[in-house]
Amino acid sequence: MSTEQNTANSPNPAPGSMGIRQAFREIRRGIVVMWWAFFDWVAVVQWKALVLVLFLGMIIGGGIFKLPTLTFLIVVSSFIIKIVAGGKRRAEITASEATQRAETEQLQRNVLEARMQALQAQIEPHFLFNTLASIDQLIQSDPPRASKMQQSLIRYLRSAMPQMREGARPTLGQQVDLSSAFLEIMAVRMEERLQPVVNVPEGLKSALFPSMMLQTLVENAIKHGLEPQASGGKLEIRAEVVDGQLAVHVIDTGRGFAPKADGGVGLANIRERLRTLYNGRAELIISVPAEGGTCATIRVPYEVAPAPTPT
Amino acid sequence: MSSVATSAAHSAPTAVIADDERLMRVQIAARLKEAWPDLVIVGEAGNGHEAVAMVRSLEPDVVFLDINMPEMDGIQAARALAGQAHVVFVTAYDQYAITAFEQGAIDYLLKPAEPERVALTCQRLRERLQQKPDPMDDVLEKLSQRLGAGGIKPREYMRWVQASVGANIRMIPTGDILFFRAEDKYTRVQTTGFEALIRKPIKELIDELDPAEFWQIHRSTVVRVDAVEQVSRNLRGNQVVHVKGSTERLEVSRTFNHLFKQM
Repeated sequence: MSTEQNTANSPNPAPGSMGIRQAFREIRRGIVVMWWAFFDWVAVVQWKALVLVLFLGMIIGGGIFKLPTLTFLIVVSSFIIKIVAGGKRRAEITASEATQRAETEQLQRNVLEARMQALQAQIEPHFLFNTLASIDQLIQSDPPRASKMQQSLIRYLRSAMPQMREGARPTLGQQVDLSSAFLEIMAVRMEERLQPVVNVPEGLKSALFPSMMLQTLVENAIKHGLEPQASGGKLEIRAEVVDGQLAVHVIDTGRGFAPKADGGVGLANIRERLRTLYNGRAELIISVPAEGGTCATIRVPYEVAPAPTPT
Repeated sequence: MSSVATSAAHSAPTAVIADDERLMRVQIAARLKEAWPDLVIVGEAGNGHEAVAMVRSLEPDVVFLDINMPEMDGIQAARALAGQAHVVFVTAYDQYAITAFEQGAIDYLLKPAEPERVALTCQRLRERLQQKPDPMDDVLEKLSQRLGAGGIKPREYMRWVQASVGANIRMIPTGDILFFRAEDKYTRVQTTGFEALIRKPIKELIDELDPAEFWQIHRSTVVRVDAVEQVSRNLRGNQVVHVKGSTERLEVSRTFNHLFKQM
């Protein structure tokens, strides 16, 4: 509004003509708006209501105001508009309403996902302090190893910090790197009690995979499967594509799943996130391998990340 | 045996270190050596069970117990060893435990152990060695309850059902289950997506399920309350439960009619 006035003022025409021109513009805009409002109304209104209104219009316009020709024209054109544009326009309006609703839903989903993601696999203080204590010891007994462990910790923290997870959609490769760094640290601490195996084909690393889910499964396998078992065991991360779905497994030879265990918030959180992110096209399955231990599998639709744009 | 114990008390003091991570045992041993050269480390344990067995057989004056250990945690081990040795807890991060230790005057060390802090602990231990070890019953009991180990816990219900789906054994979260239904020798577990079979009969199952989550509505049927969509009546006048995500109708027997009484 203000810019229009500025441009009108700049050439500095006669004040009178400017006022009239602007008034015309306003009227024209008003007519256009009214015409479209009328058009939408005619298109959407039920036939019964339209006939009733036009009949009343005929009585008022033709009978009281004595304008039979104009009234007749309006009635006929209304019917034509209704017939020609009715279906299409109504479809358009419903479509735009549906889009709006979908957008709101998507927005709600995004907010929910952000909240759930923040909850998922927050860096455990226990892990952090124990790792720092181990590094402290290695600095004295084995400095090169201390340095390696510290680098693993930095790699882990870089990808696990919540603010670092924003941006492009995460790939399986990133998630595997994060968990590998974590497993390297845990292997130094647990020594022979943890034998990590990562079996993820290079070709699958560019597949999209939600953040921190793999890490939650890995942490669970250690915390509930291997750590409580004095002899420890093996932990394997395996990925494959089956029937167009990406399946990521975390298999441990630990003490197995207790039916009464709460399963932690972690697993419930993964289920909830998969539901919001994939709407039924993804799942988390916990199964018991024949040789014991636990196998947790996340299945999501197999999608490849778009090629990275150089920054 | 008693002569050995008394002679040990007069000669060099002894200690056992228990931690599931070897690096941490090495660290504590090294710091103790600096702070208290006379203290002899007679054994190292990798879990709570080992620690208890070792303390019982070696009868050390002091035991250093990591809180977070497999098989049996440090608090449980300390309770099992009540009064048999002076206990010093070791932890990297257990905020609640630390507060409790401070209130109960129980000694503890934080990992990584700082030399000054270790020196202070050793100083206190030297003074306490003259007295009998304090069993610390009250504090430990409270702690073990709080940390969820031993003690009286609220009743735990089944949160997962282990069932065979085809050739695999799956853990199905109870929240995914719509209902259980007795079928010949088996009990059928129905979810929205699939059905599975378990051997456990309804009669045993109902004892292990959370009564706030599952209701028995018939001798052979248990339904998850949240999955119930509506209850109608069939031609014979019996109540029939409709479940979300299933077309199956579940009859309510008269014994359980009261569950769906109108408000």
